[in-house]
Amino acid sequence: MLKFRLSLILILVTTLHLKAQKNTEPSDSEIALAKTIKESHPDDNVALESEEYHISFDFNKKSQKVTVLEKINKNLINLDSRADIQAYCYYDGESEIESFTVKYKNNKETGDHVNDEAIKSDDLFHNDTRVKYIDLDFPLKGYKYSTETIKKYKDIKYFTSLYFNDIYPTLKKIIKVEIPNWLELEFKEMNFDGYNITKTVEQNPKKDSKIHTFTLENIPAMYKDEGSPGPSYIYPHLLILAKSYTFNGTKTNIFESTQDLYNWYKTLVNSLENDNSEIKDKVLELTKDAKTDEEKIKNIYYWVQDNIRYIAFEDGIAGFKPDEASNVFKKRYGDCKGMANLTKQMLLEAGFDARLTWIGTKRIAYDYSTPNLLVDNHMICTLIKNGKSIYLDGTEKFNAYTEYADRIQGKQVLIENGEEYILKKVPVSDASSNKEVYNYVLSLEDGLIYGFVNKTFQGESRSSLLQYLDQLKTNKKEDFLIWYLNKGNSNVSVIDIKTSDLSNRDVPVDIDYYVSIKNAVSSFDGTIYIDLDFEKELAGYNFEKRHTDYMFDYKKHLVSTTSLGVPSGYTVSELPKDINVSSDNYDLSVTFSKQGNAIVYKKEFKIKNAIVETSDFEEWNAYIKDLQAIYNEQIILTKE
Amino acid sequence: MKHTFLIALTLLFTSLSSAQTQDEKDALEFFWGEQDAYKTMVDIPEKWSNESAVIIYKNENYDFHKFGKNVTYKTSVRKRIKLLDKAAVEEFSEFTYTKRFRSSKGLSLGTRGNNIIGVKIIKPDGSEKIIDIHKDAVEVDGETKIAIANLEVGDIIDYYSYSIEPFKSTYAFGFDPVEKTLGEEYPILDYKLFFETENDFFINFNSFNNAPELIEIPTEKKNMRRYELTAQNIEKHKYERWFFPLVELPAYKFQVYFARSGKFENRAEAFLPEKEDVIKKTVSNEDILEFYDNVNPYGDLKHEERFLKKKTFANDAEKAIAIFYFMRHYYLTRFLEAYIAKDAEISTYPFGAYNDDARVFNEDVNFMRHFIAIMKDNKIKCDLIIAKKRYDGSLDDLLIQKNLNMVIKTQTTPPVYINSFGPHTTVNNFDPLLEGVDAYLLSATKWKYDNIKRITIPTTSFETNQTNKDISIDLSDDFKSISVSSVISYTGHKKQDQQYERFIYKDYVDEDYKKFETESFVDLVKKSKQDSYRQQFNAVIDKLREKQEETFKNSVKSEFDITTIEDYKYTINETGRFNFETPFSFTEEYTIKDELIKRAGPNYIMEIGKFIGGQIDLSLAERDRVENIYMGYPRSYNYQISLNIPEGYSVSGLDKLNKSIDNKTGAFTSTAVLEGNTLTINTTKQYKNNYESNKDWSLMMNFLNEAQQFTNEKILLKKG
Repeated sequence: MLKFRLSLILILVTTLHLKAQKNTEPSDSEIALAKTIKESHPDDNVALESEEYHISFDFNKKSQKVTVLEKINKNLINLDSRADIQAYCYYDGESEIESFTVKYKNNKETGDHVNDEAIKSDDLFHNDTRVKYIDLDFPLKGYKYSTETIKKYKDIKYFTSLYFNDIYPTLKKIIKVEIPNWLELEFKEMNFDGYNITKTVEQNPKKDSKIHTFTLENIPAMYKDEGSPGPSYIYPHLLILAKSYTFNGTKTNIFESTQDLYNWYKTLVNSLENDNSEIKDKVLELTKDAKTDEEKIKNIYYWVQDNIRYIAFEDGIAGFKPDEASNVFKKRYGDCKGMANLTKQMLLEAGFDARLTWIGTKRIAYDYSTPNLLVDNHMICTLIKNGKSIYLDGTEKFNAYTEYADRIQGKQVLIENGEEYILKKVPVSDASSNKEVYNYVLSLEDGLIYGFVNKTFQGESRSSLLQYLDQLKTNKKEDFLIWYLNKGNSNVSVIDIKTSDLSNRDVPVDIDYYVSIKNAVSSFDGTIYIDLDFEKELAGYNFEKRHTDYMFDYKKHLVSTTSLGVPSGYTVSELPKDINVSSDNYDLSVTFSKQGNAIVYKKEFKIKNAIVETSDFEEWNAYIKDLQAIYNEQIILTKE
Repeated sequence: MKHTFLIALTLLFTSLSSAQTQDEKDALEFFWGEQDAYKTMVDIPEKWSNESAVIIYKNENYDFHKFGKNVTYKTSVRKRIKLLDKAAVEEFSEFTYTKRFRSSKGLSLGTRGNNIIGVKIIKPDGSEKIIDIHKDAVEVDGETKIAIANLEVGDIIDYYSYSIEPFKSTYAFGFDPVEKTLGEEYPILDYKLFFETENDFFINFNSFNNAPELIEIPTEKKNMRRYELTAQNIEKHKYERWFFPLVELPAYKFQVYFARSGKFENRAEAFLPEKEDVIKKTVSNEDILEFYDNVNPYGDLKHEERFLKKKTFANDAEKAIAIFYFMRHYYLTRFLEAYIAKDAEISTYPFGAYNDDARVFNEDVNFMRHFIAIMKDNKIKCDLIIAKKRYDGSLDDLLIQKNLNMVIKTQTTPPVYINSFGPHTTVNNFDPLLEGVDAYLLSATKWKYDNIKRITIPTTSFETNQTNKDISIDLSDDFKSISVSSVISYTGHKKQDQQYERFIYKDYVDEDYKKFETESFVDLVKKSKQDSYRQQFNAVIDKLREKQEETFKNSVKSEFDITTIEDYKYTINETGRFNFETPFSFTEEYTIKDELIKRAGPNYIMEIGKFIGGQIDLSLAERDRVENIYMGYPRSYNYQISLNIPEGYSVSGLDKLNKSIDNKTGAFTSTAVLEGNTLTINTTKQYKNNYESNKDWSLMMNFLNEAQQFTNEKILLKKG
C-alpha cells in the first residue's frame, strides 16, 4: 500500500527528468528570447530557433539505386517553466538512421539512451516503420538542446517531400538540396502562396552540382486541429520529383513521367501468379443464379465487402504490391490492394473486364501529373462495362454498387491497361445522395412530448450506420439503435422500433418508432416552455479556434421536420426567427411556421462539399452562434 | 486408397511439425491429441444462440514440478469457442503474445520461459484447419502477432496458450494467488480446472458461492497428485456497478507454495496445509496466531525519543497519535523533495543531504513493527486487528494470507487505530473496504500475540463521509455568463482521494516542515547549490500547477457537462491532514458562458438543477438488477446553491425544487427558499449504508431517481 501511495505522489514527476550539467543554465538573453517566442506562440512549449536540412545524393553501384543523405540540425529552446518532450526520427525498410545525437548548449553530447521501437498503428496490423527517440527534459525556461539526425534513403523513390513546418514553431528554417548534375530532379512547390520563401541556386564547381536553398522564417507549428485536410493541402512543402540519372551518357528514368510510375507499379502487379483455381467455385456459386450482369457483379462485390476483413501488412514491398487474390480469398483478410485484386480476379473469372486501379484519397492533394509515390495511398478495382468505368472498393463495407465513398469522389484514378494506363476521375455525387430525412410528429400531454418518428438514411449516412451496426455484438445491436435514436439522452424513451432490412445496402435505411420525451416541457405560472429539439445538430461546430478547413466524413444533407400539435386552449406567443445562410460549401436553414394548430420546425443543413473552409469561418461561426441561440430558445405556449 | 491417405496425412503432419519443438508437440498432443473428448463437440444450446460467442469448452491447467531447487511451472488455457457474429470473429481474429520471456520468480531472475500458442479452426462442415503459427506470425521487438486466416461467423476457433516457466528457488516460494469467478465474458458450456503437483508444493484451494468442489484424481505415482474442478452451463459475467463478483458468483481461489523443508514451511508467508497431500480449505484461529506471532517490535527509536522529549500529553492515546503523525513526516513527507530531486535529476544523490539517515518504510508491516516498538518503549500495549477486504468474501472463507490486512489498536483510553502509512493517512479510521467486516482481534501477553477473538469492525456513517459544496452564482447583465464561486470540502473517506488529486507535494511538505520544525531539502544542501536547486524546484512546481489547473478545469466541465469555462481560480483553504474528521477544503471560481441558461421570450430559463453535478442515470437494464448492492462506504453530498436574482426579475418554479425522499437506504431532499434577492437551494443526497440487499433496490432507486430528476429541474427568471 505504501509503495502504491508513494508512486502516486511520484507519478507527477516521473516524466520530469532533469540533467545536472554544468554551464547549461539559460542566460538572461535566452530567457528573454523564450518569453518573446512564447508571446507569439502561447500554445507551444518548445520552439526551434533554427532548423536546417541538408540533402545530398549518391549512387550505389551495387544496388544501382540513387541514394539520399538527409542531415537535419535542430536548435531547440524551452518556452515554458520546464518541458518534457521526445526528440525522434523515423525510418523503415527503405531507410536507415546513420546517427542521432543530442547536445547541450555547451556542445557536449548528453549521452542519453536512444530508444528504438516499432511503430504500432491501429490501422495497420504490421508495418516496418520504426522510431528512434530520446527523452529530452528542459529543466528551466530558455534551456537549449541541439539535435542532429543523419538519415539515409536507400532508394530515391522513397524520398518524396520536404516540409517547412515542424511540430514546434520555427524561427528560421533552411532547406539545402545539393543536386549533382548527373541527377535530374525537380521541385514542385506546393502551397507556397502567402509565404515569403526565399530561393537561391548556386553552383558547387567542386562537386559538379547545384545547391538549391529555400529559407522561411517564423513558421508556426503544425496545427493540432481535428478533422483537417491532409497536410499536403495545408502546409508549404516541396514535392520531390526524381526524374532520371545519367551516367556515361546513359540516361535511366526514375519517375520521369506517370508512365514510369505506372511501369513500376505494373512490374509489381505482373509478378503476381494469379492462379484462380481456388476462387472458381465461389465465383460460380455467387453468379450461377444471378439473372443479370449487374446482379453477378453485385454478388461478387458485396461478398468481398462482407467476407474480407481489413488487415494490412505494410512491410517493404508489401506496401505497394497486392497480395495474390487466392491468398486473400483463403485467408479471408487483406488490405485495400488485396481486396482490389480479389475483386478483379473474381470478376475476371465471371467474364467481366476488371482492372486494378491506383488512387490517392481525398487526404492527398496531388494527382498523377506529379509522378511520386505520395500521389496515391489506396487501391480499388475498376470494372469496365459498355465503355463505362465503375469503381469497386472492397474496403467500403455496405457501400452500394455505383455509389462512391466521399473519400474517393472526384479523385483521379490510374487504371491498368496493359503496357499503358488510363487516367480518369471518380464521379462526384451531390450531398443529396447522402440525405437523412427525419420526421417528428409530436403532441403534448401531461408535461410529456410524445409522438411518431420516421427517419431515412441514404448513401453514406446509410452505409456508415449499417457498417457500425454490423460490427456490434448481436445482443448489443438493439441497445445501440436505441442509443443512436435518443442520442444517449435518458429523458427520451424510444419504443416500438421498426426498421427496413439492415443487411440490404441497396435500399435506404428506414426506421419508424415512437418517442416519449420528459423534462423538455416546463410550466411556470400557466405558461408552457418547450425545448423542442434534443438532437441539436451542428451545435458544437464552432470553428473560432481552428486554423484549418474542417472536413466532414462525407457530404451531409439533413432535412429534419418536427410538427408539434398545440394543445387546445393554448396559443403560440412567439416563435424564434428563421435563420438561413448559403454559400458554395453549405446551405443552412432553420424555419418555424404555424400550420393549422401545429408548430412546424424545419432544419435543412446541406454541407455540399463535405468541407467548411477557413474563408467560410466568419460567416459559418456567426450562423452557428445564431443556431445555438435557437437551440437555447424555448417555444412558449400561453393560455388563450 | 488407404495407402495414399496415409501418405497425405504423414505429409501434412511433417509439414506442420517440421519446426516444432518437443514442448510444442507435447502441447498439441495434450490439448488436441487422441484423448481430446471435445474434438467433435460443435453444438451450443438454443438459449445461447443470440450470444456473440459461446465457449464450448474452457480448460485451465496448472502444473507444478520440481527437481531439487529447480521448479518447472506450467500454466495453460484452452478455449473452444463458437463464433456467432462479426464482433466475435473480429475479437478472435488476431492474437498477440510473447514467445519467450524472462522469469521473475525465485532466485534465477531472467531464466527463459516460453509461451506456446496453438490455434485451429473448425468449419461448420466439420473440416479442421490447424494454423501454422511459425509460418503465419510476425515477430517485432519480441512481440509475436498472428492474424487468423479464414475465420468466419459460424466457425469454431479452438486455441490454447501454454506457458512453461522454469526457475530456481532455494527458499520458500509462493506463487501468485489466483482468485477467479467461473464465469467470464461469454457463456461456457463445459469447464475444467486441472492441477498437477508433487511433493514440496502446498496447495490452498477452495470453491465458493456454490462453485463445484475440487476433486482428487488417483495417480500412478505416490509423490504426484492431480485434482480437477468441472462445471457446466456457466452463464456469462455481467459487469455491474456496485458489485463484488467474488462475494456472489461461483468462484474459486487458490495459492500454491513451494517449500522444500519444514524450516521453509515455517517461514512461508502463507497458511500452509500440514502436508502436501492435503488441500487446505480453511484457516483456523491457531493458523492465525501462528502466523502473526512474529510481528516483532523493531526499530531505532532515537528520533521518536527526541521528538517526545519535553513534550507532555493528556493521555497515552494523545501520545500515540502524536507519534503517528511525527512518523508520517519523519519517515515519509520529510523525504518527498529528495525523491523529486532524484527523479528530476536535480541532484544525483539527494539522500546524502540527510547525512545518510534517510530511512523510509518500504512495506506497511515494517512501519507497523516500528510503531509497535515505540509503543512498547512507552509502555503502551497494542492489539492487532486482522481482517479481509469486503470484496473478498467473508472471514470464514479466509484462504490466502495475502488477502489479510493488519490494523494496530492501542490499549489506551480511548484506543487509537493505526491503519496504513501514507502522506495523508490519519489515525482512527479503517480502510473503507474493511468497514463492517468480521475480523480477528489479537492481543498479546508480553508482546507475543497469543489471544484471539472475533470482532466486527465498525462502519462509518454517511455523516462522517461528506462532500459539501457551497456554491454562489451570479448572472451577468446580458444573462450570457454565470460566475460561480464554490467552497468545497471533503471529510472522512471522501477526503483522501481528493487530497491525492488536488495537492502537489509543495502544498503539504511545507506544512509538515513547519509543524515538526524540520528543514526543507534545499535548506539541507550546500549553500552554493541552494539557489540553483530552488530555481529548478520552482520550475517543477510551475509545471505541476499548470497541469493541475488543466485537470481541474476539465473536471468542472465534465461535472456540469459543459464545453468551456473561463477565469478559473483555485485556492486551498485547509489541508485536513491531521484528523480523519476535519475537512480538506478549497475554493474554486470560474465563469460559464452561454450554457445552462436559455432565453424564453423576454424571460430566461435557468437549468439550476445542473449545479448539483451529474447524477447516476440508471439504464433500463440496471433497473432490473437482481444482485445485492456493494458500495465503498456510506456517504452524503450536501450542496447549498445561492443565486442572486438579477434586479428587475422575479423567480418562478421553486415548487419543483422541493423534493423529499428518505428511506432506510438513503435520501435525496431539497428545499428552495427565496429571501430578498437571494434564492437558496439546499440539497442533500445520502447513501446510508455500504451494502443493500437486492430487495431494497427499489428503495435505492427512489432516491437515485429523485436526484437525477433534480438535475433536470429549471427555474424561470421572469422580467418585470
